[in-house]
Amino acid sequence: MTAQDGRRTLVVGMGNPILSDDAVGIRLARDIAARLGARDGVDVIEECCVGGLNLLDLVAGYDRLVVLDSIKTRDGRPGTWYRFDGRSLRETMNLANVHDTNLATALELGRQMGHHVPDDDENHIFAVEIADNMNFSEELSPQLREAYPGLAEEILAEVEDLLSGRGEGAGG
Amino acid sequence: MSRKISIDPITRLEGHGKIEIYLTDDGAVEETFFQIPELRGFERFVVGRPIEELPRIVTRICGVCPASHHMASAKAVDGCFGGEVAPLAHKLRDMYYQAHFIHSHLAHFYALAAPDFVLGPDADPSTRNILGVVHKVGLEIGGAVIDARGKAQEIQRIIGGRNTQDIWCLPGGVAKGLKPEELETIKPWIDGLYEFTQFSLQLFRDVVLADPAYVDLILHGPYTLDVHNMGVVDRDNAPNFYDGEVRVVDFDGDEICRYSAEQYADHVAEHVESWTYLKFPYLKQRGWKGFVEGIDTSLYCATPLARLNVADRMATPRATEAFEEMFATIGGHPSRAILANHWARLVEMVQNAETLQMYCADPEITGTEVRVVPQHVTGEGFGIIEAMRGTLTHHYTCDEKAICTSANLIVGTTNNNAPIQMVTKKVASSLIKPGTEPDQGILNMIEMAFRAFDPCYSCATHSLPGELPLEVRVHRSGEITHTFKRHC
Repeated sequence: MTAQDGRRTLVVGMGNPILSDDAVGIRLARDIAARLGARDGVDVIEECCVGGLNLLDLVAGYDRLVVLDSIKTRDGRPGTWYRFDGRSLRETMNLANVHDTNLATALELGRQMGHHVPDDDENHIFAVEIADNMNFSEELSPQLREAYPGLAEEILAEVEDLLSGRGEGAGG
Repeated sequence: MSRKISIDPITRLEGHGKIEIYLTDDGAVEETFFQIPELRGFERFVVGRPIEELPRIVTRICGVCPASHHMASAKAVDGCFGGEVAPLAHKLRDMYYQAHFIHSHLAHFYALAAPDFVLGPDADPSTRNILGVVHKVGLEIGGAVIDARGKAQEIQRIIGGRNTQDIWCLPGGVAKGLKPEELETIKPWIDGLYEFTQFSLQLFRDVVLADPAYVDLILHGPYTLDVHNMGVVDRDNAPNFYDGEVRVVDFDGDEICRYSAEQYADHVAEHVESWTYLKFPYLKQRGWKGFVEGIDTSLYCATPLARLNVADRMATPRATEAFEEMFATIGGHPSRAILANHWARLVEMVQNAETLQMYCADPEITGTEVRVVPQHVTGEGFGIIEAMRGTLTHHYTCDEKAICTSANLIVGTTNNNAPIQMVTKKVASSLIKPGTEPDQGILNMIEMAFRAFDPCYSCATHSLPGELPLEVRVHRSGEITHTFKRHC
């Protein structure tokens, strides 16, 4: 399905722009915004650093959510990326908020309160394995810098498919 | 052979912290270590940048309390330019910051603290969250929480243009004032927030104070610490979150010291341990004495309860009533009961709401003189405020062209690093005794100790996963005999 059916999509780049690889979601969101241009029914928040209940405030009113974020897993290889939906959600680096709640709980709370939030299968999380989110820098780590062009192309293609109704979970 | 228990929150997200609990041969807790890697290089990152950029950069340190860093940084930058600030800008900054306090405290109380009390410390971990609270108390209350949080954030946005990643404060003032029509919009919301603070206090009375078991948990057992208290106060020794002097009071209520922002280095020093990246602030004039409680300790808490412990009263009338009720209930002022921090947050929110109401009635608040443009560079500035999680210090220097030459930050959670270590050990010691096998209960009991401090490792170190994955491993004679996990 496309935006012409009236469904609204929010694309969010999560992360910290000055914390090395933590910025990878922001970079992806900027690249997606540039590639998509102005598209009806699709809003892009290129830089978002809030999780938990704060994210609920942003997501309320949308039919579909696309999150771009970083992740660190045991023995993960920087540059690898993963895709989750609301049913297979794993907490990525910036979706959680130790001071209130995680994304799944925040969205469920929103549903119970009568807010319009995306269904589980309309939450699409793309998470990139990173090497360094401990050093303040506006540059990616060497490992991720090398991997970025390839992973960005793959993720951007998936997001485009998703928005055009070809991708998994586009539903309809 | 000693045994080791590891509480490891890193099973899903690598590179964060863990708690190591070492047992003696007979099974008693010998020592605990809470370890968190620290973010590196912020001071290096900002050196060489225009000093006026720092209030915008520091909001990127942390997505949890960006407004706190923005305010402390703005005050430090004001100092680098001579310190003159438009009086109206101080009022507007304070107003903005009260709203930030409310939505942060609301989120903590209802999402993190309330599950322990509304559902009970022994509740199934799968329901021990805000959804469980809503299920128990009703959708209507859940909706009210969401609405109140949203209104507090919207008040921030209307006053300061944004509610995250602030760019509003400028040297000598702020970038925009509050229009009369904006004031009319937020007035009823602020009245609603005041009513919600009263509702929250009543909920606390009904759910927590009405249960003797909860009151006993708060007042006795391992959740008490004999360390001192730090907080910013006004001239009348009432809490002030935006401006004032730092007051340190011992746990008997006697003042240890009182200092202005530029004197912080004379009063606070940081101890380093080889087993953690986090530093341990202590009262410099007493010297580092180790992780010890007692009247001679150099350790202190900087928490909501500590802020009320250093205060003689609150700055507003209804908050003072709540303050008096709280201390009358928990055995007097000051209090050593760590879990009373949850109640202290509610008391603080009353002051936040009343202060907002006061500003709404101020005929000058919609004025337009919101900035004094700096005319010269003086080269050094200090900004101390109360972040939700404790006293926050920013100290900058710059050269004659206003280029940053140094930056030093002591963040709220760092102040509490030693007390967190100590209460962790106390709780572990109360649960793990010779002849007693540790069980799943240790997880939430230790989490309850953490939650009272509302620690923020986003800036003290880095963000922990949202629901704090915990893994407890019990080692005996080199073998793992028990493993307890949560959220991992």
